[in-house]
Amino acid sequence: MRALVPLPLVLPLVAAALTLVAHGRLRVQRAISLVALTATTAIAVALLALVERDGPAVVTIGGWARGIGIAYVADLLSALFLTVAMATVLCVLAFAVGQLRAVQESRYFHPLYLVLTAGVAGSFLSGDIFHLFVTFEVMLLASYVLLTQSGDDGQVRPAMTYVVVNLLSSTLFLTAVALLYGATGTLDMAALGDRVADLPPAVREALRLLFFLVFGIKAALFPLFFWLPDSYPTAPTSVTAVFAGLLTKVGVYAILRTQTVVFGVGDGSPDGFILVVAGATMLVGVLGAIAQDDVKRILSFHIVSQVGYMVFGIGLGTRAGLAATILFVVHHIPVKTALFLVGGLVEETTGSGALRRVGGLGRRMPAVAALFAPGALSLAGIPPFSGFFPKLALVQAGLAGGQYAIVAVSIVVSLFTLFSMTKIWAGVFWGDPEEPPPLARAREDGPLRPPRLMTAATVGLVAVTLGIAVSAGPLFDLALRAADPLLQAGAGR
Amino acid sequence: MTLALAVAVGVLYGTGTYLLLQRTLTRVVIGLAMMGHGANLLLLLAGGSPGLPPLIGDATRERGALADPLPQAMALTAIVITFGTVAFLLALAYRSWALTDDDEVEDDVEDRRIARAPVVPDVVIEQEEP
Amino acid sequence: MGVALVAALAGRLGRGVYLVAAVPPAAAVVAGAVVAPDVLAGRVLTESHAWAGSLGLEVQLRLDAFALLMVALVSGVGVLVFLYATQYFAGGARRHATFAATLLGFSGAMLGLVLSDNALLLFVFWELTSATSYLLIGTDDRRPEARGAALHAYLVTGGGGLALLAGLVLLGQQAGTTTISGLVADPPTGPLAEAGLVLVLLGAFTKSAQVPFIAWLPGAMAAPTPVSAYLHSATMVKAGIYLIARLAPAFATSSTVWRPLVLTVGVLTMLAGGRRALRQHDLKRLLAYGTVGQLGFLVVLLGAGTPEATFAGCLLLVAHAAFKATLFMGVGIVDHQAHTRDLRRLSDLRRALPGLFAVMIGAGVSMAGLPPLLGFLAKEEAFAALREGGQTLVLAGVVVGSALTVAYTARLLVDGFLRVRSGPDVVGPGAVARPSWAFVAPAAALTVGSLAAGVFPQLVDGLVNAAALALDPAWEGYTLALWHGFTPELALSGVTLAGGLAIWRLAGRTGRLALPELPGGGEVFESGVHALQVGAARLTGVLQNGSLPLYLSVISLTVVSVPGVVLLTRGARLALPDLAANAVQGLVVVVIVVAAVIAAGTGRRFAAVLFLGAIGYGVAVLFVIQGAPDLALTQFLFETLSLVVFVLVLRHLPDRFAIRPPGTFRLFRAVVATAVGVFVAGFALVVVQARTAPSVGREYLDLALPEAEGRNVVNTILVDFRGLDTLGEITVLIVAALGVTSLVAVARQRRRGHETAAREPELEEAGA
Repeated sequence: MRALVPLPLVLPLVAAALTLVAHGRLRVQRAISLVALTATTAIAVALLALVERDGPAVVTIGGWARGIGIAYVADLLSALFLTVAMATVLCVLAFAVGQLRAVQESRYFHPLYLVLTAGVAGSFLSGDIFHLFVTFEVMLLASYVLLTQSGDDGQVRPAMTYVVVNLLSSTLFLTAVALLYGATGTLDMAALGDRVADLPPAVREALRLLFFLVFGIKAALFPLFFWLPDSYPTAPTSVTAVFAGLLTKVGVYAILRTQTVVFGVGDGSPDGFILVVAGATMLVGVLGAIAQDDVKRILSFHIVSQVGYMVFGIGLGTRAGLAATILFVVHHIPVKTALFLVGGLVEETTGSGALRRVGGLGRRMPAVAALFAPGALSLAGIPPFSGFFPKLALVQAGLAGGQYAIVAVSIVVSLFTLFSMTKIWAGVFWGDPEEPPPLARAREDGPLRPPRLMTAATVGLVAVTLGIAVSAGPLFDLALRAADPLLQAGAGR
Repeated sequence: MTLALAVAVGVLYGTGTYLLLQRTLTRVVIGLAMMGHGANLLLLLAGGSPGLPPLIGDATRERGALADPLPQAMALTAIVITFGTVAFLLALAYRSWALTDDDEVEDDVEDRRIARAPVVPDVVIEQEEP
Repeated sequence: MGVALVAALAGRLGRGVYLVAAVPPAAAVVAGAVVAPDVLAGRVLTESHAWAGSLGLEVQLRLDAFALLMVALVSGVGVLVFLYATQYFAGGARRHATFAATLLGFSGAMLGLVLSDNALLLFVFWELTSATSYLLIGTDDRRPEARGAALHAYLVTGGGGLALLAGLVLLGQQAGTTTISGLVADPPTGPLAEAGLVLVLLGAFTKSAQVPFIAWLPGAMAAPTPVSAYLHSATMVKAGIYLIARLAPAFATSSTVWRPLVLTVGVLTMLAGGRRALRQHDLKRLLAYGTVGQLGFLVVLLGAGTPEATFAGCLLLVAHAAFKATLFMGVGIVDHQAHTRDLRRLSDLRRALPGLFAVMIGAGVSMAGLPPLLGFLAKEEAFAALREGGQTLVLAGVVVGSALTVAYTARLLVDGFLRVRSGPDVVGPGAVARPSWAFVAPAAALTVGSLAAGVFPQLVDGLVNAAALALDPAWEGYTLALWHGFTPELALSGVTLAGGLAIWRLAGRTGRLALPELPGGGEVFESGVHALQVGAARLTGVLQNGSLPLYLSVISLTVVSVPGVVLLTRGARLALPDLAANAVQGLVVVVIVVAAVIAAGTGRRFAAVLFLGAIGYGVAVLFVIQGAPDLALTQFLFETLSLVVFVLVLRHLPDRFAIRPPGTFRLFRAVVATAVGVFVAGFALVVVQARTAPSVGREYLDLALPEAEGRNVVNTILVDFRGLDTLGEITVLIVAALGVTSLVAVARQRRRGHETAAREPELEEAGA
């Protein structure tokens, strides 16, 4: 089992190298990607099952003692996130193959996509704070290049925002790591927890907030998120979708992991600062979404708003709160990705995602409408779809903790989210376009057929989200157990 | 860590930030590179007091006199990564120049449009006749 | 009892799909009838499945007599509505399958709602009914009014639903159970429970269109008539009533807010609904406001929490479902045949539609509460319950409300069917085609049932008694009868009838009646939504202004100021360190500082890059002094490489930076820059002094030779102890090279119209 732990990083990297060698032979590249990601998904599932049975597995690469070598930690939390993330990555790969024009795909899409996957997997598994920086960089560099792949006029400017902000955030991350090492003299997260506890309170608190904010840039918290809605919508859908589903969530994961294991959040007492940030993020994000009139931009602002919910659970600092956050991330990765894929289907068939240029697609592509509805309701936390369960868990945890204000905010934001989703629904699937859509076939009447492979990929992801809803009970129990080690770390001081 | 080194780190971060907050991409890259220098220096300095190079085998050297090797390894990794990112950003600047003959970072078009566009009431509720 | 959506999926049957869709509700009716004897005798059927137990959400179903009554209504009316739909949608190309599936989905959700014992499961179905209602109201999606009405209904009921969720969770946490039967058996008390109740009531009020949330329901009339008849009169709007009825017997006494709130809102709604119904010209809207009024009546009765009122409420529930569904179907037939439902355009309708008119009279009489129909029985019981309960003020309100009901019934029947009009727009009897018998049959069936139940009350006696008993164990049972002798209730009925007719005459004559009007029209919602959109646009316009420098400033400032303030206020200790280790170090630092300041200030690109290089070399020297020669070497190498890359790019760009007008932003930039610099330097000094434990890095010194067989410890770390970092680092370089390659290639391709991949040299460079 232990041999499996580093594979989610190594396997995609090896595959990336192979696809690079196979440059120019698209079929070979596709086969390699498909096999590698399927295998990685299978490994993630196996890890989850094994961790569930035998407890967490810690592997130091090279077999060194923990703290000397880099620790890779497969516990319930990382295995769970990894599984969902890899399944999502796999579905998006299918979508991308269906969507990208051959010329786009043949520029380094496959190697980059695999490297991105490796970076995400490494970030989930790393138990070492500096190695986390490295895996972040692997992931980010791949994302920079993916974002600028087509090099279109419309992409360079938004990509600059993305790249520059993330470079600043990487520099600040490195700064934070340096300061943390300066204060503690270690990089291993478990050891850090002990050593941080011995620091003077002012230093400990300042370091904690610094890490929270640094990861907050990647997770897109208020007031650090403005870069996200500017840059995400401009990439090809398959790229945006995987960014939307995964990258901010890696930031949330980093917050979740470090705040608890390293800095002792999760001792049952709420953190006022985090809760305020969470509330502001939810609210400002959803209001931003309401102000938009393009599908991808609306969805991008919702990423921000939803991240607020995830941080809300962390701020509660209780077992129920952390478990709610974990379940939220698990639900959000596939749902958000699926919604972007639906947006991509709309764009692919009509040529636009602007609400005024599409309309009436519910009549012309009822299947796509049916794929959108569960995700949209999920996002608003409407049952019986997957988003309801983490939101219910958050409301319960918040009320149990006496945090009425933030619960009220979260409920109002749910309503606003619903409003915003009905705006997409009414704009895309109902009514008629105000302006003619760009593609000729969309201007005629009659049914439209979205490309088959892309639709199938979307169906796959939507099926995952429905599966999450059906098995919400066992998943929440799993989330509770995944939260336990984080709490013990917090309670240990 | 001496005051002079702290000042060096602070100035690198400060001037780096100052350059970063501008619209010219070249300056932004230079700013990031300066911050990167600051960060590498900080990594090394925060690691502890200076010492002899961490090379084993010379009997005259005591272990305690050697510098902490871990920050050095981290800084080494960081230098290479910073180089990679800076090179990429420069390529982006080149691309931007190829597109616009300019390396200015303009404001986001869609944001400006949303900010200026009037809000058109798009929700129609049928009103009763009086 | 499952949501047999499958039926609808086989839906390339055209209109026939409605017949298929009628099968599941019919099955539910049959199933209900099979278990009825047991349930009416007091047995409670339960079923339980796991779902999300640790969240308190289980599939716990519970069928008692009240639930059975609701099942009968939901499925019974459902079957009739599907039969009606086959005729209503005759002609016209609709997406029947989607529509029927949604309607059936709603039907299933509604059944689930009344069968849920788990409060959260009830919420799940509650929201499903809202969502399906949204889709159904928006069936004519090309009409902006239909979209607006759908949104209005959804946001109001959905928003109320979220309040309901919070309320249920609060109540559940106070009670320690999430089952409704558990809540009712041992009602929690205390301020949190009261708050929970208010939230639950908020949800119920929105769903059942109570004051001040009445306006969405008339708006929902944008839906096709089968939907209006089913959802917005007979079933969905009863969900709120259902919940109130479930909770009332327990909470009316245990809570101090319940009764005042429920009774006030109910009476006000009854008055407001009746008042507004009188003003309508659109027959469907008239009925919709009538529904609002009747829902208010139901809230009063089922919310009062006394056994007698509960009994009367159950009776009215049945009566209302029957007559209101009938009336809606009837108006739908009028609309279908005459192509208008504006009573100003209808003339002498009874002549055109005599059969329908008879049916409408039956239902109208029941609605007005006149003998011998079921509505009469219900109203008599209601008056008696309120009078005996000593609720005089409420009774007065209900009597006035009932008078209004009589008045708008008269408006419907007399002004709608009897009046003879003329004018250019008027549709005379000749222009109205006779409907087929199958179109009228479902409505007729309900009226006949209503009449039969009025004349032979024993038909419903058992069910209603058992339902009331299921809600309130204190109910002693009562035998219904059409004639009770000369009672005060009969007198009140007389007052109601006379008053109602007087109001109708008055309203008809003046066109306007000086009755007070309650707020709550659609305009409130519309302006609310608009305000939200404007507010969102303003806020977003300010925050998300698209300026990268501003984003970076906010990020930098936030990241350093929050921990910085903590350091300052929490009193982090800082001892002043030595100035410099030696003169060389001091000198190099001075060089770096000077170079940095010049690089930041210069207006020339090349100068800035050269000074950046100087800084890099300076830093390398500092590395040497710190005891890191390997690092210094690497720094030297990569600094040189960077310079080369910089020069390669910059030779294309103009030497001077574009000149920007200096402004306050420059000062702001300086402030942010200073904050960042001071924070990092200060914090660095603080952390170094705060260090307690020795560095892990020291252990490598002992391990390097024996374990990794290397003398250069930094090298052993890179290639051995932490080799994975190096793998990542190399990956970063390769990816960066790919990025550079493709960007440069694309740029060249654009400039020269010819693709030359400069891949190889870049890769070599990366491998360096």
